Amino acid sequence: MFIDIHVHPAFFEPINEDPLREEMRHRALDIHKNGTSSLQHVLNQMNCAGLDRLCLLAQDYSADMGTEIVSNQEVRKLVDLVPDRFIGFASVDPRDPDAPEKLEYAFAELKLRGLNLHPGRVELDPCDARMERLYDICEKHDVPVMFHAGLSWEPGTHTEYGMPIRFEDLAMERSGLRFCLGHFGWPWVRETAMLMLKYPNVYADTGVLYFDSALEFYSTTFTEDIPVTWIDRSLRHQVLFGSDNPRFEQIRMAKALDRLGMRESTVELIKGQNALDFLGMKGER
Amino acid sequence: MFYTESICIETTEYNQMTVITPQVEEIVSRSGIVDGMVTVITKHTTTGIIVNEALECLESDISTALGMFAPEDRPYSHARMLRDYGSTAGNPTGHLKAMLTGNHCHFLIKDGKMVRGGAQDVYFCEFDGPSQRREIVVLVEG
Repeated sequence: MFIDIHVHPAFFEPINEDPLREEMRHRALDIHKNGTSSLQHVLNQMNCAGLDRLCLLAQDYSADMGTEIVSNQEVRKLVDLVPDRFIGFASVDPRDPDAPEKLEYAFAELKLRGLNLHPGRVELDPCDARMERLYDICEKHDVPVMFHAGLSWEPGTHTEYGMPIRFEDLAMERSGLRFCLGHFGWPWVRETAMLMLKYPNVYADTGVLYFDSALEFYSTTFTEDIPVTWIDRSLRHQVLFGSDNPRFEQIRMAKALDRLGMRESTVELIKGQNALDFLGMKGER
Repeated sequence: MFYTESICIETTEYNQMTVITPQVEEIVSRSGIVDGMVTVITKHTTTGIIVNEALECLESDISTALGMFAPEDRPYSHARMLRDYGSTAGNPTGHLKAMLTGNHCHFLIKDGKMVRGGAQDVYFCEFDGPSQRREIVVLVEG
């Protein structure tokens, strides 16, 4: 089982029937010239990368945008189209007074399997009271949280909210809440490693490719910025494969992971089992 | 007289060679042009058009040769974030292979048919797949 834990479906064809909505997404995400992807094309890409399943993340900053970039209903629609290959994550804007009710609905009725939040975009600390009420719902449903951490390319995002150290109180106070620091918290990958070492409920994904080729940047980040032994020996159960597609290239990132010098068994954990544990799907393989 | 049509292809592999001779011949036939020339042009910068013998062994050798010219692991300058795209450019090998193959081919038309050798087929080459909506323009002049 090979899972990509971090995929933004903003340009999947079935949710882009309205050209104005597609244009909004290009502007909001600062991703251009890519067009939209048919589901067949998405599956072709998955097959080339060797991926079995994708976690599709909703994105909601509607308190200032007036609409979601990708709504929970749109994620549900995509999952329903290819239920054996897609896993859906919800998103709500914590600044929205109705966010808890929307999240409860997303988990209870839409059956989405996680929550996606971007503290730097909504300008909220991970331990802000408006975030805390959402974590209560996640813990109640035993679903994890995906945070955007580290640098974000999206316009209007503040990088300082993505500093891994800002997530320590959350890790400490909610040991039962599994959460992932997206993009390994780059450039603060040592801070991310420190948190993961201390708190087993903290995960990190590999969705990072800001310089160079996939193999070059993975080598720099995961064998030089932190020694590969740190992951291979100590953090091997907490690293998840994530691509941040379509920002980054899924196929070459998947292949680069194989060539970092980790044990084969570690690579297998990163590709699949860790994601199943993170998602609370321990019975599946 | 000019006649144009496009062939659209959805590719499924990272590198993929697809014979498009039958589609080109059908377009030549539909054009109604009896004597002239047909040009087959890809619209993309990480794809190519080549003419060669349609054998599995040759496809393998051509792919290997192109891979030797543009291996995946070289430190390419094109491997970087592109601001205009907001995403990483990971396809320098595709651009280089496309440069080597060229983007088009020509054939004469006589008596309403393409004049080609018995071993000659037209290939569309994908070097950055999978891709959807790859477009090849076929221009018939007479």
